[in-house]
Amino acid sequence: MQPTASPGIVLVSHSNEIAEGLARMAREVAGSDVSVVAAGGGPDGSLGTDGSRVAAAIRSADAGGGVVVIADIGSAVLSVRAVLEDGDAAGVEAVLADAPMVEGAIAAAVTASIGGDIAAVRAAAEEAWDVRKL
Amino acid sequence: MSASSECRRSVRLPADVDLHARPAGLLVRAASGYDACVTLRAGDKQADAKSILQVLSLGATGGSQIEVETSGSEASAALDAVAGLLETLA
Repeated sequence: MQPTASPGIVLVSHSNEIAEGLARMAREVAGSDVSVVAAGGGPDGSLGTDGSRVAAAIRSADAGGGVVVIADIGSAVLSVRAVLEDGDAAGVEAVLADAPMVEGAIAAAVTASIGGDIAAVRAAAEEAWDVRKL
Repeated sequence: MSASSECRRSVRLPADVDLHARPAGLLVRAASGYDACVTLRAGDKQADAKSILQVLSLGATGGSQIEVETSGSEASAALDAVAGLLETLA
């Protein structure tokens, strides 16, 4: 049997810089083997979200183990849901984690790096709600 | 040695290394390689060593004492790996 591929992670922010910076941070903490793809900003580089960029990121993050998507706020969440509901991710098993973005991304990336499947990666991101900083 | 055991060791972080994101990531990845529960205690906080966010929330700073407790079939090997890593983080 083929070993199952690690899930990929897609970060959707209104800001391209936030998505790219967080992706770098997640790779730094979790190791570069984890597939973390940034999908930030609107179509013209402005603040916003771009469904087609999100869909492309989901396809590129998938290595066969599915994709966990983490979004920042408001319309980023709506854009991701629209992409997932419309099937624009072309057959990739993708789920949206309900998690604070920075903490969720770090937890998700580390969990993917240690062999967690898509459910474990999503759960790790969502556990971020329960871990206090102080 | 029994198949399943509990082990415990107290270690000190190197003076110049805080348990920030990158070293915490190394620690979680090391702990996760073993069939064992690994718990860290620092001050009045405790963390599952396989949870990056819990490890970060320890807020352990350089030179602080960390109690490592392991249980499960690979408790002893997990303890050596995690305690050894904590003491040699750079």
